[in-house]
Formats: sequence, structure tokens, C-alpha cells
Amino acid sequence: MLSKHAMRIILVVISVVAVSGVGLLVKAQLIPKSFGLYGAYRADAIDEEAQRVVRHGTNASCFGCHPYEAKTHLKGDHKTISCEFCHGTYSDHVKSGKKIADLPVKKGAEITTLCLRCHNTEIKARSTIVIKTVAMPDHLEQQKVKLTHNCNQCHNVHAPLKYINEAKKITGLMEEH
Amino acid sequence: MKIEDFSFDMDRREFVKKVLNGAIAGSLILVFPMDTVGVDSQMGISQSDLNLRLPEEIPGIKNNQYDIHRQKFAFVVDITRCIGCGSCCVADKREYNVPDGNYRTWVERYVKDFDDQIYVDCPNGGLDGYQKPRDDIQTGVRDTFFVPKLCNMCKEPPCVQVCPVGATFMTPDGFVLMDSQRCVGCAYCIQACPYSVRFLSPVTKTAEKCTWCYHRVRKGLLPACVEVCPTGARKFGSLNDENSEVYKILKGPGVLTVLKQSMGTLPALYYIGQRLEVV
Repeated sequence: MLSKHAMRIILVVISVVAVSGVGLLVKAQLIPKSFGLYGAYRADAIDEEAQRVVRHGTNASCFGCHPYEAKTHLKGDHKTISCEFCHGTYSDHVKSGKKIADLPVKKGAEITTLCLRCHNTEIKARSTIVIKTVAMPDHLEQQKVKLTHNCNQCHNVHAPLKYINEAKKITGLMEEH
Repeated sequence: MKIEDFSFDMDRREFVKKVLNGAIAGSLILVFPMDTVGVDSQMGISQSDLNLRLPEEIPGIKNNQYDIHRQKFAFVVDITRCIGCGSCCVADKREYNVPDGNYRTWVERYVKDFDDQIYVDCPNGGLDGYQKPRDDIQTGVRDTFFVPKLCNMCKEPPCVQVCPVGATFMTPDGFVLMDSQRCVGCAYCIQACPYSVRFLSPVTKTAEKCTWCYHRVRKGLLPACVEVCPTGARKFGSLNDENSEVYKILKGPGVLTVLKQSMGTLPALYYIGQRLEVV
């Protein structure tokens, strides 16, 4: 039979082992599985971020179903503009190849506001190499049209010079000056 | 009397039990992972559409095994081409459903007068574009330009250094990302970021930041802001691809600058045509 003192020491050793064992178990439970694979973080979080839903498509994904718009858009000076900027995101419109909702088409004064977002001369920062700008209402006065006109009454929004070039062709008029 | 005492004890015991149970159950609500609010899986482009209708914009990623240790990307912003239309801001908000008043990317307007005084403004992060010129500047305007801002993807990220729970980190392919499951919302990273790119989301109550659209890049797509930029002011590409525009720019002789170089954060976001005054 062990002495009382020896029993005490054994008890202390057993309890230390038990407590540290429980501690290690709890630690293993609390630390996520992939923690520390690449560094002091959860490596699975990378894949989770990579799985985030894509909401914007590309222009090519729109042109797949809209060949008429594609033809106009790709020929015009606005070919670099994203469809989704004016019309809304692809994922709001198509789901598994089927249309789920209509996307808004801008109308009237909304169009002018949208055009002037980029084409306003008063915002001086716009490089002439990158973009042609106009001052409103000077441009309307110069072109001798009503001041209430919206941009799309002369310019096709997808190919801004389409109608203008066609009209010049028909009338045989050359650029003034 | 004895019975009364006993029942009284039981009641107390029951009471303590119930309180403890309630407290544990209540705290479990905080411990269990929340549903990711604001990201609805129904809202995204479905997998079949992704395969069918999306072209490959970054070569060598789609349908290939993604080797996280071999990929290297760079982002170049050409200030001389930015017209401040705010398409990028709109696309960014739509791609992530960014809560109002917070911005993962934004476009600042800088105005410089002849006394070298700098005026900076950024109404609604550039979401509504810049429709009107500034009328509060009395002296003559010398120079005006737009500066798009987004995550700099530092190679020495201060935000990662300060995170106490490992919720933000740098991936082996060079992206600084967030783990919203681990984030405790202490906002230390928001203070640490020299570029003010991070914000505390009012929806998830965790820190959020621009990821250079990591989810798109992993599918071979360009980041949403690059996708919609009409003038090519934002450029993104793989440095493993020698034909990519960013590779050519980085290899070429043009002057490239980074923001706050003196802070030693070594950004992977480069600017072309950056003025000295931009911070």
C-alpha cells in the first residue's frame, strides 16, 4: 500500500495530466481545421472568398442574347462602355440561361444625366484624348435644336455618331468648317 | 417546516439552473456562425451561366488547376485616362451589395490652383459621378484630375499585422482578404490601413474591404471595376502572362508610382500620371 504522501503526489500528477488533456482537447476544438496552413489564419477563408457569387457578367455575356444591340454597340464609339453600367447587373436579369426579370431602360432626362456624367466639358479633368465633351446648353444652341432636347434625340446611345453619320451620307453634307 | 425549506431550496436551484441555461443559450447565439447577411446565393450568376456565357479575361485560370503559390497579379490605375464617370463605383456597389455610405472603391476629385493649394472632394464616393464643377474655389484652377482609390494590396500590409484574431491575411497569391467568420469587429485594421480602404459593415458588423474581386479573378474574370471602366483607366492582369497589359506596363519604362511609398507598405497597386500631391 502506498503512503499518504505518495498518493498525494500521484493525485497531483493525474490532475495535471487530466487538466492539460482537457485543455488540449478544447484548444483543438476551438482552432479551425485549416488554421495555419499558409499562415496565422484560416486557409479555408480563401476558398470561401473565391466562392462568392459573381454578379457582373461581361459585355460578351449580354451580346449572346442581344445580337442586334451587339451589332450597333460594337461598331460605335461607345463600344468600351459596359452594358451593365446603364442597364444593371447580369445576375438580376438571367438565371441558368433563363430571363428572370427585366432590366431598366433609361428614358428621357435620365439619359441626358447619364451622358453628362462623362461628357460634361465643365468638369475640366477630362482628357481630350480620352473623351469628347460638350457644354450644355451651348451644344444644343450650336446644333440649332430645341433646348429641351435629350441627347438620344440625335445620338444613338449605343453608337453616338450612327444617325449623324448616316444623315451626312444621305444629305451629302460634309462636316462644317 | 422541513418540507418548506426543501421546496425553497429546489426553487433556488431551479432558478439558478434556468438562469445558467438562459445565459449559455444566449451566449451560444453569439458563438454560432451567423448567416452571411447581404450575400444571397440566389442573387449571383449561376454556375451554368458562368461556364457558358463568360469569356476568359485573364488567361490560364479558367478550367485550369489554380496554383495559389505561382500566381502574381498587379493593378494599374492610369490617372491620365480617368474621366470620373463613377462606373467603377457603381459596379463595385452592385457586385457586393455594399451598404450605403460605405465604399470599397471610390473616385476622388483633385483641384489645384495657381498657389498650389489643393482641393479634394468626393461626393458620395463618386457613385453619382461628377455632374457639376466645384464653384467654391475663388482662385484660378490650374489642374483638375480624378484619382480612383481601392485596396493597395500591400506586400507588407499593416492591417494584417494588427489583426488580433487572424481574420485578415495575405494569401500566397498576394491578395489581402477578410475572414468574416473570424472577425470580431474590433476595427483595429480600419485604423491601421494608411489608405482608409476598410470599413465596418453595418450589416455584418465585421470589417470589409476591396478584394480586387478575388472571386472573379479565381474564375478568370477581371474585377468588376476594371470590367466596366470605359476608358481603360483601371487595368488588372496576371504578371505570369507576358502578353497582359499590366505586365507590359510594369516591364516598360513609364513612370509608375505607389501611394504613400514612405510608409513601406509596398503596394501592388500602381498609378500612372500620379501627381505629387495625391495621398
